[in-house]
Amino acid sequence: MNKISQRQLFFLLGCVAPVGKLVILPARLAANAGGDLWIPALFHVLVQSAVIFCVLLLAKRGKSFYELLADTFGQIIAKILSVLFALFLLYAALLPLLEQQIFVRGVFYDTLPSLAAFSPFFLFSAYLCAKPLASFGRVWDILGPMAIVSFAGILVFSATNADYLAVLPVGSAGLKGIAGSTALSFSWFFDSALLIPLLGKIEYKRGAAWKGTLCYLAGGFAVLLFLVTFFGIFEGTAGNQLFAFTKTSKYYSAITALGRIDYVFIFALALVMAFYSALPLQGSIDCVLQAFGKKRYLPTLLSIGVNLLFFGFTVFFDFRFNLAMEFISQKLFWIFPVFTVLLPPLCLLLRRKRHESA
Amino acid sequence: MKITGKLDRDLGTLKQLLPAEDILTFDFVSVKGLAFTVLFADPITDKELLGEQVIRPLLHYDGKPTAEEVGRKITSPEKRTETDLAKLSEEVLAGNPVLLFEDMDEAIIVGTKKVFVRAIAEPSTDVAVKGPREGFIEDIKINTSLVRRRLKTPELKIEFLNVGRRSQTYVAVCYLEGTSVKQTVEEIKTKLEEIDLDIVPDSSYLTHFLASRPYSLLKQIGTTEKPDIFCAKIAEGRVGILVDGSPIALTAPYLLVEDFQSSEDYFVPPYRATFTRLLRLLALFVAIYLPAFYIAAQLFKLQLFPVKLLLTIAGSIRDIPFSPSLEMLLVLFVLEILNEASIRMPKYVGMALSVVGALVLGETAVSAGFVSTPAIIIIAFSGIGLYAVPNLIEVTSVVRLAMLLVAGSVGTYGIILLTGFILLYVVTTENFGTPVLAPFSPIVGRDLRDSIVKYNLGSLELRPRTLKSPNKRRLGNE
Amino acid sequence: MKARNLIKTIPMKLYVLLAAVILFAFFSNDFGLVDIQKTAVILAAGVDRSEEGFTLTAQIAVPKGSDRSQGGTSSVEIDAEGKTISDCVSLIFSKTGWVPKLVFCDLIVIGENAAKEDVISYLNYFLRSEYMPDSCKLAVCEGTAKELLSSTSAIDDASSLAIDKLFSDAAEKSGNVMTNTLKDFAIGYYGASKSGYLPYIRMTDQDGSQDPAGGTGGTGGTGAQQSEKIYSAEETAIFSEGRMVGLLPREQTLAFSLLKGNVEAGTLNVPDRDETVTLSVLKNEGGIDLEMKGAPIAKLDLSVMVRLCCRGTTAPMQDISSDGVPDAILERAKTVLDGYVRDLWQICKESGCDLFDLRRALYRSSLKKYAEWKDYLLASVTPEIKTEVKSMK
Repeated sequence: MNKISQRQLFFLLGCVAPVGKLVILPARLAANAGGDLWIPALFHVLVQSAVIFCVLLLAKRGKSFYELLADTFGQIIAKILSVLFALFLLYAALLPLLEQQIFVRGVFYDTLPSLAAFSPFFLFSAYLCAKPLASFGRVWDILGPMAIVSFAGILVFSATNADYLAVLPVGSAGLKGIAGSTALSFSWFFDSALLIPLLGKIEYKRGAAWKGTLCYLAGGFAVLLFLVTFFGIFEGTAGNQLFAFTKTSKYYSAITALGRIDYVFIFALALVMAFYSALPLQGSIDCVLQAFGKKRYLPTLLSIGVNLLFFGFTVFFDFRFNLAMEFISQKLFWIFPVFTVLLPPLCLLLRRKRHESA
Repeated sequence: MKITGKLDRDLGTLKQLLPAEDILTFDFVSVKGLAFTVLFADPITDKELLGEQVIRPLLHYDGKPTAEEVGRKITSPEKRTETDLAKLSEEVLAGNPVLLFEDMDEAIIVGTKKVFVRAIAEPSTDVAVKGPREGFIEDIKINTSLVRRRLKTPELKIEFLNVGRRSQTYVAVCYLEGTSVKQTVEEIKTKLEEIDLDIVPDSSYLTHFLASRPYSLLKQIGTTEKPDIFCAKIAEGRVGILVDGSPIALTAPYLLVEDFQSSEDYFVPPYRATFTRLLRLLALFVAIYLPAFYIAAQLFKLQLFPVKLLLTIAGSIRDIPFSPSLEMLLVLFVLEILNEASIRMPKYVGMALSVVGALVLGETAVSAGFVSTPAIIIIAFSGIGLYAVPNLIEVTSVVRLAMLLVAGSVGTYGIILLTGFILLYVVTTENFGTPVLAPFSPIVGRDLRDSIVKYNLGSLELRPRTLKSPNKRRLGNE
Repeated sequence: MKARNLIKTIPMKLYVLLAAVILFAFFSNDFGLVDIQKTAVILAAGVDRSEEGFTLTAQIAVPKGSDRSQGGTSSVEIDAEGKTISDCVSLIFSKTGWVPKLVFCDLIVIGENAAKEDVISYLNYFLRSEYMPDSCKLAVCEGTAKELLSSTSAIDDASSLAIDKLFSDAAEKSGNVMTNTLKDFAIGYYGASKSGYLPYIRMTDQDGSQDPAGGTGGTGGTGAQQSEKIYSAEETAIFSEGRMVGLLPREQTLAFSLLKGNVEAGTLNVPDRDETVTLSVLKNEGGIDLEMKGAPIAKLDLSVMVRLCCRGTTAPMQDISSDGVPDAILERAKTVLDGYVRDLWQICKESGCDLFDLRRALYRSSLKKYAEWKDYLLASVTPEIKTEVKSMK
C-alpha cells in the first residue's frame, strides 16, 4: 500500500485527462474557438504527454521530488521549492474545485440549492487528504475501469446525435482565437504537475515511461473525441453548455423510453471527479510532508487546514465563478506553463546523487 | 501445588479448589487394599462409562501401587497421569474424572466426559440446493473430525489452544502446512494466545481480537457453518479457526468477494454461477442504493424518475403526512423491527407475524394514508436484496441506513460522496497482509476467474494469488 | 497522558458530531430544496404575444392520488401574463403556490402571433435555464398556444400528450410531420444558415370542423362544454432569423422529409388518368449539397422505393397480389415529386429561409467563399433537382 503499482499509475494517467476536462472546459473552448475547440486541446495533450514522459523518467530514479531537489540544492532550498510547488498545486486546485461546486449545484439538484450542498465534499476531501498519497493508488484500480466504462458509455450515447462535420472548416477561429483558447485552457491542463508528488512512490518497471505516456495520450485523444462530439451536438450553442458531459448523452433515443439512464454513467464519473478534484490538494499536502517529515498529527492537521481554506474559497467565490475563472485562466494563466511545462523537464537536470541510505 | 500422596490431604485441597456441590467424590478400596478416590463433576461425566472402564477393573486390581501399572488396568482409551492439583481441578471441570490413590504421588485422569451434542444438520444460514448439507455443530471434536474427513492429508495441522480465563475454551487452528502462509498462522496463534477474555461463548468473540481494525464496519474475518466451505478455504491457503461451543468457524484472511460466493457455485455450471454472483452483486446494490436514490430523487432531483413514474409517485404520496425522507425512514424501521422480531419469535408465532407485517402494517398503513405504496415497494425490494448476500447483512443494513440519511440530507451528491468514503475505506483495509477488496483492488487478473465471474474448474489450476500461498498449484502436479 | 487520551478520542467525537449534523440535516430537510409535493410538474408550455408582453400557459400535471385504477394523466392549464417569460413563470408560482419545474417540459408551443417575431428573443429563457431540457419539442400553432393547450383532446387526457403523439418517431418516418427540438432550432438560428423549421399545429373539432383561431379560452382544461379536439401537424412553419416567414403545405412537408431521408413508411398520391394511385414509400434516401463551380448550384437529390398501396378502381386479383408499380406510374410519381420539391424550393427562396442549410454547407467547405457569398447566396443559387422513384421488385 506504500507504492503505486504500474497498472494503477496507468489507470490514473489514462483517466486524469478526460475526468478533469469535461465540465466547463468544453463550453469555454467552444465559446472562444468555435469548431476549432479541439486544436488547443490537441496542443495541450501533446505538450503534457511530452512532459509526463519526462516526469516518468524522473520516477525511474525512485526518489521523491524533495529528495531530488535536496540532492542538488541542499535541504533548505529543497524545502522552499517543495513548499512553492505545494502552493502552486493549491492554486491549481482552485478552479477544478469551484468548477465542481457549480457542477454539483447545477446537476444534482432541480433548483439551485444552498451553498451547504457542496460542503460535504470537504469532509470527504479532508478524509482523503489525511491518508498517505500512495494509498490512493488502489482506488484507481476501481475508479480507472469505472471512468473508462462511464466515459465510453457517454460517448456512445452521444455519438448518435453528433454532426461531426460541424467542426469544419478547420481554422475558422483564426490564429488569435486558437491562441487565446490555448492560453486560457492552460489552467485545466496541469496533469504533469499532479504526478510530481507521486515521485518516489511509483513502482517503476521497464518501459513505464513510454507506456504511461501512451496511456495519457489515449485519455487525451478521448478528450478530443469528446470535444468534437460535444461541438457536433451543440454547434453554435455549445458555448452556452456548461457541464458538458452531463448534456451530450441525453438526446439518445432510448432515454425517452427509459428515463435518464445516462445518469448512471454521469454519477459514476462524478464519483471519479470527486477523487480527481481532491488530488491536487492531496499532492500539495504530500509535498509539504516530504519536506518536513510525517510528524504524527501533521497530515491530519494539514488536511483539515487546507480543506477549511478551500471551503472558505468556495464560500467567497459563490456566484463569483466567472470572476475566478477569468482571473485564473486569463490573467494569471502563465503560472501554469511555468510549473507544468517548464519545471518537470528541468527536473531531469537535477543531479543523480546516490541517496545516503542507499 | 503438587500431589502429596496423602489421599485425605490431596482430596481436601482439591475440594477447596472445587467447592461446587456438583463435584462428587467416591472412595473405593481394591481387593488388594489399594485405596482410591474418584473425583468428578456430576453433570458432565459419563458415570456409566466411568464405572465400566475405570472403577470395575480397579476394584479387582492386585498389582503394584504405581500410576503406570494401575493405568494399564483402566480400559478407557483416554487416560493420562498428572501431578499438579490445579491442573487436575481444571480437568474435573472439563468433565474428565480424576483418580487419587493413597501413597501415590500421581493422579490419573480419564476421558469419560459426557458430551451432549446435537445431530449434524444443514445450517439454516447457508442452505445449498445442490452439494453437501452437513454443518458444523457446537462440539469441537466432531467439527475437527468433519474437517479431517475431508482433508485426509498429513499436511492438515490442527493445533489446540485454550482461550478464556474462566471458560478455558478449546480453539483449534487448522491449516495445511506448506499451503498456508506461515506468517499468517503464527500471527493468528499469537493473537489468540494474547486474548485475555473471561469467557469465549462463541467464535464471534474472537473476530474482534483477530481483526486489524477492530472497530471496522467491514467484516474482517470470514465465517462459515459448512465444513465443505471451511475445507475449501483451507485448501486455498487460508487458516481456519474452530471454537468449542460454536458452530460458526472462522477463516482468515478474509476477502469481501467470499461473501458473494456460495458453495453451490462450485457444483453448478460456471455460467450459472457467474449469473447468480452477478445477481447477488446487483441485489446488494439495489438493497443499499434504491431507497437512497428514491429519496434523493423525490427531494432533490425529480429528473431521475421517468415522467410517468414521477406522476404515479406524486399521486401516491399526495396525502401522506410525512416528508418523503421521514416516511422512508419509518418504513425502513418497521422492516428492521419485523425482521428482528421474526428471527427471535417462536416459530409458531411466525405465521401470525407475517400476517401482521404484510397485511396490517403494509396494506392498512397504505389505505390509512400513513405511508405510500411506492415506499413500501422500495423497502421491500431493498429488504429482499439484502438477503441475497446473507453474510453481509450486518454491514449492508448499516450502510443502507447511512445512505438513506445522506440522501435525505444532501441528495444524490451525498450518496456519491458516501460511496467515495466507503470505497476509500474498503480499499485501504487489509487483514493479515491481504487487501479485503482483492482481486478488484488491487486488481489480480488471475484471481478474477473466481470472483464475481466464475470460470470453469479447469481454469482454476492455481491457488488465488491474493492469498500468497507458497504452494501455488492446485490442479495437476504440485 | 490526559491530553493524549483526549487526542485519541477526537476522531470518535468527530464521527458523532458528523452523525449529528447529518441527522439534523435529514430531519430539518432544508437545503433550499423543493420536493415533489411542492412542485408543479410542467408537461408543456405555450407562449403567446399579449399586450403586456407575453402570455405563458403552463400545462401542469396533477397527480391522481393513490387510486390508480383509472390510469391516465390529469392536468390543469395555468396562464400568466408578464413582460418576459421569466416574469410569467414567477406569476404562475405566485398564483398556484407550486414551484414550476420545467425539467419534464417536453413541448413548447408558440402561438401564431408570437412566431412572427424573433422567437429566440423569448425562447432564450428556456435555453439559459439549466433546469430545462433543451431536447423538448418545439412547435407553432394556429391561433394561440393558450387555446391549444387548454383544449380537450379526443385522443388523450392532456392536449400536450396528444400533440406529443403527433411528433413520434413513427409519425416522422411517415413524412407527414417534420419535428424539431428547442436545441436543434437554436442551432439553426445561431448557425450560418440562421434558419429553421417547426411543425405547425392545427386544431379541429372531432366532427371535422375547423376551430376558429384565438378563442377566449381560460384556465382549466376540464371544461365539459368544450368539444373534443383533434390535432394535426402536417404543415411546417419555416423561419429565417428567428421569425416565421412561411408555411409549407402537406406536400412540401413530405418533400422536405424525403430530401432529409427521413421517410420509411410514408405514402404518396399519384394521379393516374381518372383515378388516384397511392404508393407506399418503403425506403428513402435524400441529399442536399451545394456545388460552387462558378455560380452556386443546390443539388437536391431524393430517391424513393415504393410499392403499390391502393388505387381508386377495382383491379383483378393478380394485380392486387402484385406489389410492383408500373413504369408509367413511377414516371408520374417522379413528376409529382419533382413538382413538390420545386414548389418547396420556391417557397423557401421567396421567404428567404435557408431551409436546406446551404449557407452552412458553404461555410463548412470554404471560409473564403462563405465570406464572399453569404449575403446573396440564396438569391443566386439555382436548384438542380434529381428525383428517382423505384419500384419494389
